[in-house]
Amino acid sequence: MKARKSHFFKLQDSLFKYFLIACSLIVVGLFVAIFLMLFETSLPSIYQNGWSFLTGLVWDPNNNIFGALPAIAGTLISAAVATLVAIPLSIGIAIFFTEYAPARSKLVLSLFIDLLAAIPSVIYGIWGLWIIAPLIKTNVEQPIIGAIGFIPLFSGPAYGLSIFLAIVILTIMVIPIITAITIELLSKTPVPLKEGMISLGATKSETIRHLGLPFARLGIVAAVILGLGRALGETMAVTMVIGNSYYWPFSGYSIFAPATTITSKIAGAVGEAGGLEFSALLEMALILMVISLAVNFISRSLIKRTSKRGFG
Amino acid sequence: MQTKLDVQDLNAWFYQKQALKNVNVKIPEKMVTAVIGPSGCGKSTFIRCINRMHELVPGAKVSGKVLLDGADIYGTMDPMDVRRKVGMVFQKPNPFPNMSVADNVVAGLKLLGTYKKQELSELSDANLKSVGLWEEVKDDLKKSGASLSGGQQQRLCIARALAMNPEVILMDEPSSALDPASTAKIEELVKKLKNETTVIIITHNVQQAARISDMTAFFYLGELIEFDQTANIFESPKNQLTERYITGRFG
Ligand SMILES: Nc1ncnc2c1ncn2[C@@H]1O[C@H](COP(=O)(O)OP(=O)(O)OP(=O)(O)O)[C@@H](O)[C@H]1O
Ligand SMILES: [Mg+2]
Repeated sequence: MKARKSHFFKLQDSLFKYFLIACSLIVVGLFVAIFLMLFETSLPSIYQNGWSFLTGLVWDPNNNIFGALPAIAGTLISAAVATLVAIPLSIGIAIFFTEYAPARSKLVLSLFIDLLAAIPSVIYGIWGLWIIAPLIKTNVEQPIIGAIGFIPLFSGPAYGLSIFLAIVILTIMVIPIITAITIELLSKTPVPLKEGMISLGATKSETIRHLGLPFARLGIVAAVILGLGRALGETMAVTMVIGNSYYWPFSGYSIFAPATTITSKIAGAVGEAGGLEFSALLEMALILMVISLAVNFISRSLIKRTSKRGFG
Repeated sequence: MQTKLDVQDLNAWFYQKQALKNVNVKIPEKMVTAVIGPSGCGKSTFIRCINRMHELVPGAKVSGKVLLDGADIYGTMDPMDVRRKVGMVFQKPNPFPNMSVADNVVAGLKLLGTYKKQELSELSDANLKSVGLWEEVKDDLKKSGASLSGGQQQRLCIARALAMNPEVILMDEPSSALDPASTAKIEELVKKLKNETTVIIITHNVQQAARISDMTAFFYLGELIEFDQTANIFESPKNQLTERYITGRFG
C-alpha cells in the first residue's frame, strides 16, 4: 500500500514537472512567435527605409516615405517625463500613507489607490479629453504661455490636446502603480530596526530617510521600471489626448503642442494602412518592443548590481 | 542616593489590557537597577514608558508621571529629546544593516547634524573602545553592522546608545540572545557603565541580577511588588512572591 502510494506520487510529481516545462515552453514560444511575426512583417519596411526609418521625420504614405523618429521621441519623452514626475509624488504619497495617515483612513485610501491602478485606460482617455483638456487649456496652458511664452518650451498656441496633457495623464496612470508597491515596501521596514532608530531620537521622517527608503530602494527601482513600462506601452489614453500631430518635437519645442507616440501612431493608422505603411507600422511596434526589452534588461541588471552589496 | 528617575502612579495599557498598575518607584542615579519578574509581568512595558517608546505601539496608553531629574518626560519635553537622554538597548541586537560598523555607532549623533565628519569618526572609535569592541572590529569599520557576530552586534548597539551620552540607559534582556562568553562581556560592561550613567536592565536570569545590580525591582502581573537593594531582595525579601520568584519556585 505504502509503496504504491509513493509510486503514485512519483508519477504525479513527474507529470507536474512536464506540465511546468510545457508551460514555460509555451511562454517562450509565444514570445519568439510574436517577435518573429513582427520582424517578418517589418522586413519590407526595413529593406525599403533602411536606417532612415530611425532618423526620418516625415510619415507620408502617399509617397512611401516613412520616418519614425517623431513617434519614437514622443514615446520616450512622454513616458520618461511622466515616470520622473511620478516618482517623487508616489514616494511622497506612500510615506504619507505609511507614517502619517490616520489608521482608520488607510483602508479607504489603499482601496482608492488600487482602484486607480485598475481603471481601464480608455476611461483615463475620455476623462483627459473631456474634462482635463479644457481645464488645462484655460487654467494652465494659457496663463503659462501668456507669462513665459517667449521661451520655446512654453510657447503657444494652447491646444489643450498636447504632449503636456499626455504626460499629465500618464503621470496620473503611473502614480498608483509606484505608490502601491512603495507602500507595500515601506510597511515592511523591520520593526526592531525602526525602534532602534526612534530610540536614538529620530523623527518619523528621519526614520524613513535613513531606514525605510534605503530598505525599499531596490523595490522602488523595480516599481519605477514597471511604471515606465506601463507609460511606454500605454495606447488608448495617450491616443485620445496627445493631439496626434506627427512632427513634434521637430516642429517646435513647445510642450503645449500636439504630438504623437509609437502606440498612438499605430492605433491611429493601422486600420487603413496597407502595403508598405502597414509594414512600417509594424516596424515601429518592433522598435517599441526592443525599447521595452531594453528597459527591462537595464532594470534587471541595475537590481542585480545593487543587491550584490547584500542590502537594498 | 540621588534620585534620577521618579516614577509616580504609572499606568500603561495595550487597548483594554492594563500592563502596568500604579507603579511608584525612585530609581537612583549612577547605579544599576535590575528589573525582574515572570514573563508578561510588564517589565518591557515599564522601561518603554521611561523613554516614551511604549506609545509607539498601536493601542498604547499611559498615565502618571515619570520625572527625569524632576522634569516630567510626559510634560512639555519633546519625546525625541527624552529618547536622546534615555537610551535603549534591545533584546535582539538590531544594528542597522544599511550602515557600516562605524556609522552605526554615530547614527544618532549624525541626526543631530552638529558634528563634523572628523569628530564623528573620533566619537565612533572612542565608543567602540569603551564597549571593548575596537580591537575586534578596527579592520572592519567599513563593513555592514550586520556582518558582526551576535555578541559583537549587541556591543555595537550598546556603543550606539552610549554615543548619545545618555543620562539613563535602558536594557531589555540584552544578553538573553547571546552565548555565555558574550554575556560575560556585557555584564562587565554594565558594571563599568554605572560610573557614567544610570542603568536599568531587565533580566530573566536572577543570578545575573544578583551579580550586576545595586537595586532590584520585582514585578508581578503589572504591579511593582518589591523594590530594594539587590542584597536585601536576595537575602531577605519582604514579600513572599519575591521570595518564591528568586528561589525559582515559579516562572
Ligand atoms: N503589542 C502588544 N499588544 C498587546 N498586548 C501586549 C503587547 N505587548 C505586550 N502586551 C501585553 O502586556 C503585558 C506586559 O508585557 P511586557 O512585554 O511588558 O512583559 P515582559 O515582562 O517584558 O515579558 P517578557 O519577560 O516575556 O519580555 C503582557 O501581558 C503582554 O501580553
Ligand atoms: Mg519583555
